[in-house]
Amino acid sequence: MSEIYINSIKQISAQKPLTDEWFDAPVRYSENYVRAIDPDFRQYFAPNVARRFGKILKRALVVSQKALEESDVTNPDAIITGTGLGCIENTELFLDKLVREGEELLNPTQFMQSTHNTISSLIAIEAKCHSYNTTYAHKGISFECALQDALLQLQSGGIKTALVGAHDEMTPAYFTLLQKAGFLGQANQTFAGETAVAMMLTNQKTEKSLCKIENVEKFYGNVETWRAASLQVSDIDYIMLGTNGVAETDRIYYENCQKLFPDIPLLQYKNIFGESYTAPAFGVYAAALCLKNGKIPDFLEQRAKLVPPKRESEEQRQNAVRKILCYNQLENKNHTFVCLTSKNLTPKK
Amino acid sequence: MEELILKLKEEIIEVLNLEDVKPADIDENAPLFGDGLGLDSIDALELIVLMEKSYGIKLKDPAQGKEIFKSIFVMAKYIAENRTK
Repeated sequence: MSEIYINSIKQISAQKPLTDEWFDAPVRYSENYVRAIDPDFRQYFAPNVARRFGKILKRALVVSQKALEESDVTNPDAIITGTGLGCIENTELFLDKLVREGEELLNPTQFMQSTHNTISSLIAIEAKCHSYNTTYAHKGISFECALQDALLQLQSGGIKTALVGAHDEMTPAYFTLLQKAGFLGQANQTFAGETAVAMMLTNQKTEKSLCKIENVEKFYGNVETWRAASLQVSDIDYIMLGTNGVAETDRIYYENCQKLFPDIPLLQYKNIFGESYTAPAFGVYAAALCLKNGKIPDFLEQRAKLVPPKRESEEQRQNAVRKILCYNQLENKNHTFVCLTSKNLTPKK
Repeated sequence: MEELILKLKEEIIEVLNLEDVKPADIDENAPLFGDGLGLDSIDALELIVLMEKSYGIKLKDPAQGKEIFKSIFVMAKYIAENRTK
């Protein structure tokens, strides 16, 4: 089975767009709803080309283009996208008009761009890519579904390169609804954010490779019964969790970690990137960057939770970042595990 | 007629989201499709919706569009002659 590497990752989020600067100087927020910081899109599209694109499409195209450029791939063998909400802004506009105009005289552009798979297909059109193109819309595990699809195809040798994306926008109206329903904007909860992440997966290790993807697993049910066949728990240096500051959600994470991965230090990422359906892509991104840089920034550590970081000196810390498991769960029913290792780590025989 | 041409230009800029284009930038005699503004088939659908919504003109024959959407001036002339609101 081929070894699979992440050769580039690009993001647009609440952090400075298209850079990894957040790793050393993260932007902190006290608001409960933060929209992504957009780059100057005019640098990337002619006005006539971009005029129909909503924000989510512009962001998806830019991060995809930059991820492709950085990995020196022009035409990927697959474009696979995870999105919880799809083009929700256009959907809202379309539905508003549907109600206002009495189901008549609806604008075709908003209709065409209100579907989930618009994102992946537009990336393909712009990249002139006619190969495999799929969208996963599975709420909070959409990204991991896309990642697993790519990994399985790469491992089986069916494809050599895959552009995997995670894209979600958060409109003021949708945030208000989720806040009223108690899903977002609660006391102590990390801010509601937006996601635009594109990563290039290949079966070729290069100097630019951030890390190796060892495994992606999804599990439904009682997580205590889950055991990954290929995962040596004792080898894991850190667990990257989707904790979001809500006591009940975080309790599930901590309890499951104690059962499955006792005494392994815990990391977080939603304090920096916020909460959204495809936020777990930021967990993978953050873990990949930690592996590449060989260190864990302080703000990613969950110092007070259960297990303190086990290696305290800088030298020990740098040598300790070899394997990170990203764990995400939805209502304690859907569980996903993405295992990343340092690109130079040799698997045990 | 001039007033209608200006209004039409403003509406087209808004509906088609023509960023950075001002009414004065549009030559009312230039072709809307291909050269000139460089509109495409999806824009044609948006223009059909605009005609009905703003002026009460329902285009039943798609072939009509080719003639009517030749330029802003031709479009304005057709609207002036056929509008119901």
